This record gives sequence, structure tokens and C-alpha cells, in this order.
Amino acid sequence: MNDGELFAAYRATGDIKIRNEIVEKYLYIASVLAKKFVGRGVEYDDLYQVASLALLKGVDRFDETKGVQFSTFITPTITGEIKNYFRDRSRLVHLPRRVAELRISMKRAAEEITKETGKRPSAKEIAERLGVSEEEILRCAEAGGVVSLDNSPDRDSDGMSFHEVLPAVDDVFEEVDNRDAVNSALKTLTEEELALVRYRFGAELSQVETAKRMGVSQMNVSRMERKILQKLKVTLAKSLVE
Amino acid sequence: MKEIRLTTPLSGELMTTVRLTTGGVCSVAGLSMDDSEDCKVCVTESLLLLMHRGYNAAQIAFTVENGLGVEIEGQNKTERESAGQEDEISAAILCALAENAVLEKKDGELCRITFRFGLQA
Repeated sequence: MNDGELFAAYRATGDIKIRNEIVEKYLYIASVLAKKFVGRGVEYDDLYQVASLALLKGVDRFDETKGVQFSTFITPTITGEIKNYFRDRSRLVHLPRRVAELRISMKRAAEEITKETGKRPSAKEIAERLGVSEEEILRCAEAGGVVSLDNSPDRDSDGMSFHEVLPAVDDVFEEVDNRDAVNSALKTLTEEELALVRYRFGAELSQVETAKRMGVSQMNVSRMERKILQKLKVTLAKSLVE
Repeated sequence: MKEIRLTTPLSGELMTTVRLTTGGVCSVAGLSMDDSEDCKVCVTESLLLLMHRGYNAAQIAFTVENGLGVEIEGQNKTERESAGQEDEISAAILCALAENAVLEKKDGELCRITFRFGLQA
């Protein structure tokens, strides 16, 4: 059957086998798109899952009678879902920590390579050693290291230090309150749910890795994660009202 | 208005350099981190599209004015490499991520790609 026939048959029968056949045929698009968005602080596995779910939803929404190719329809749909995913959760949670960790690994790898070869390594060599892209290494290096607060922000400044020009840190008491609220909310979780939180948000493992450690399927991890976040949201909202 | 031009051979090993340069220009233009990342994807996809059509080099012109305008033109065309399904995806990504993405053709062949990223209110 060609695409048009496949979609028409699925529309007429709702047969999951036909839907799966379509999904399998176009799963490569999910993979291609997921790869294009790697390097923004979210692992490929997670992006691939988001893209695959968008593909699944897209198959249900696609209308083959409108004369548009499915690949033309599904690419912006998946791209939109990936962007929503980034907007909703990735950057705030993952990037700063990942950058900080990568900087430490970079330093260690650079020292190792220098010891082995007797010369200072290039970004490419460090990237190969750590199994990340060269671009990620260069961006991390650009992100800057530790700077003294007594230093001046720029050469032309009139003697002002970072200490004097940076805005004050957020209220420490508010931070303690927030931490208390999160700790209380975490107490409402089961042991299994806590383990998932530790793997996903503590160790920052991908859903696939978390699933392996917990001995469940990735789909299970995804469902549990959604449930946990919803549970925490409700608990935290309640504690804010109180 | 600021204009920055970059001429680059179209080869895989220079993509990182182009992406990093694009990131720097996006920063000058005041784009958000998300838009900067999207712009980098669009520049890379544009270069791949031109590469697959046999161009050996490209000139990228960035115009910083109320956001960032990007114009990428293929140069030094030889034989067409390949234009498979991935090219279709690349074009769709461009249209999905950027504002006013235009893929201009000359004699039926893609020769120039333009798009822009505006400043968010």
C-alpha cells in the first residue's frame, strides 16, 4: 500500500497495526530531527522520545485528502513539540549544571591528554576523549570560569568591581523556604518515585538509562515522571496557599 | 544597523566554526538563547541544502537590525551531490524555526536562502 492508501485504511478502520506501520515508516524523521536538536542540554534519547510521541500524534491528525505529503506535515509538528519540550523544562533544569560538570571533565581530560602526549590538547581531542561534540567543548570554554568579585568587569571601567555592579543575590530566607517546601513535597512520594527523581533530576540520567536502573520500560519512566511532577506541583501549590 | 559577512568553504569540518560564529552574532543581535540555537540550526541546514546541490562555498550575510536577518548564498557550483529526503526535512525545519524563510531558485535550482529572527517583545 502507498502512503495515501495506508492513511485512508487507518482512517477507515482505526487499526493499530496500520498506524504502527506508518509510524515505523516515518520513525527516521523523528530520529533525524532529534539529532538536530542535540547539544542544548537534553540527551538524544529524551528528544527521540518526544519526537516519536509527536509522530504518533501526527499520524492521528494527518488528513491525506488535503494533498500534502506526510513528511512535509510532520516535520514542523515534531519540531514544534521539541521546542515546547525545551521551553517547558530543559534549559532551567539541565544546562547550568551540565555546563559546570562538563567544565570539570574538560579540565580533567586536558590534564590526562597533556600527561600522555606531552602537549596541550585541542578542543577536538578533548571532545573525542569525553564523547561530546567539539562545539559543546568550545561553548563550555566560552562560558567562563571562576572570576574574583574584586575584578573589574571591563578594562575601561572606572575602578568598579563585580562586587559593586552585580545585583544582590535573591533573598536567602526565601530560598530556605523554597527548599523546605520542596523537601516536604518530596516526602509525599513513594520510594520508587523518589528513586526516579534521584536518577532523573539528581544524576540527570536519560529516561532510557533510568528505565535500565529501575528495571522498567522507558514508557513507564515517562508516565511515572509525569505523574510525579503533577503530584509535586499540586503539593507545592497547596503549601504556597497555606 | 550592523552587517557581518562570512565566506566559508562548504565542508563538514567548518560547520562548528560557522555555528559558533552564528552564536556570537546572535548574541550581538540580542536574540534569546532559544532563538540563537534555532538560528544556528537554520544556518547549518541552509549550508547542508546548498552543499547537497553542489555548491563548494557559501557567503553568509548577517544583518543586525531589530533582530537578525540572515542571507546565505551558494558559490562556486559544481556537480550536484544528492538531494534526498533529508533535504526536504531541512527545508521544513527552516520554515518551522525561522520567520519568513525563503528558498530562492535560479534556473530551477536553489541558490539563496534568507530568513530572520526578530526580537521578542
